[in-house]
Amino acid sequence: MSVMAMTTPVAMGYIPLGTVFGFLFVQAGADWWLAILSSVVVYAGAAQYMMIPMLAAGMPISAIAFATLVVNLRHMFYGLSLLGSFPRKPRAVRAYLIFALTDETYSLLTTMPRDTSHRQMVLVAMLNQCWWVLGTAAGALIGARAQITLSGLDFVLAALFAVLTVEQWRSRHSAAPLWVALVAYALAFMLAPDHALVVAIALSIAAATLLQARRSPAGERA
Amino acid sequence: MTDVTYVVTAIFAAGLVTLGLRALPFIAGDWLNKHPFVQRLGRFLPLAIMTLLLVHYVVGAAQSHEHGPWPELVAVALAIVLQWFARNPLLSIVGGTLAYVAMRNAGWF
Repeated sequence: MSVMAMTTPVAMGYIPLGTVFGFLFVQAGADWWLAILSSVVVYAGAAQYMMIPMLAAGMPISAIAFATLVVNLRHMFYGLSLLGSFPRKPRAVRAYLIFALTDETYSLLTTMPRDTSHRQMVLVAMLNQCWWVLGTAAGALIGARAQITLSGLDFVLAALFAVLTVEQWRSRHSAAPLWVALVAYALAFMLAPDHALVVAIALSIAAATLLQARRSPAGERA
Repeated sequence: MTDVTYVVTAIFAAGLVTLGLRALPFIAGDWLNKHPFVQRLGRFLPLAIMTLLLVHYVVGAAQSHEHGPWPELVAVALAIVLQWFARNPLLSIVGGTLAYVAMRNAGWF
């Protein structure tokens, strides 16, 4: 399959979603080129969407960095299945592949045939980012001119989280994480409604630790 | 968002955090693979955190108006059903968002 054919489904998603991102970013009051900078430098859809209201509210950089950490935590585990297939050299190629490891690029790279050349891998990764940046630029330019106020367009982030949740659910090892998360959020919302997300994450990690300590006998620990 | 230095700093901070997360297995892959606990956490946390983010965002959106959580629940349910059966992220995201925008702007909510 040609590189173009492989990346077309990603283009169909990245161009429109990038456009909405660029539009919302500019409508929130930033210059058009900052939207493009975000798609070049951050290149993580959910985190970029999430930053918009935080930037508009003037939240501290540390809060934005922490929120990015939470939203992108799943990326920490993507590289594990690609350790062997990424080229060691040239280093710039390896570094770019690691930088550009979004959800979609990850699923493309992990489903490519074993004999895929490193050149093809880089081309796929770069084309994917091109679609995202192109979409962002289009949206930013529209947003800089248009005066449309549609309340609720930022719900695109909730829909994106819904999609990611469904996909995580499909590849689940057990249903426990979902139930633990729901219970943790309910508890956190009652205890500390202003910090519900952070408290719920801490509760979930604690629950995961307890569940696993119980499940794995001492002998299994390497 | 008119303070360019602030926005640029935030963008680079978010970029560094993201790059760090993506690079971690390539830097500390051996260590991660040696610790089954980290791997089990890796199987547990992504679904838990996505669920938390979804719930948190829906709760936040539902509190931004006075009509109860109905438009949020309908739109998220639509996105989930679309993604479950059609497996097309763009369709699910556009479908859910348009349904939400329509409900909020039609005057029902």
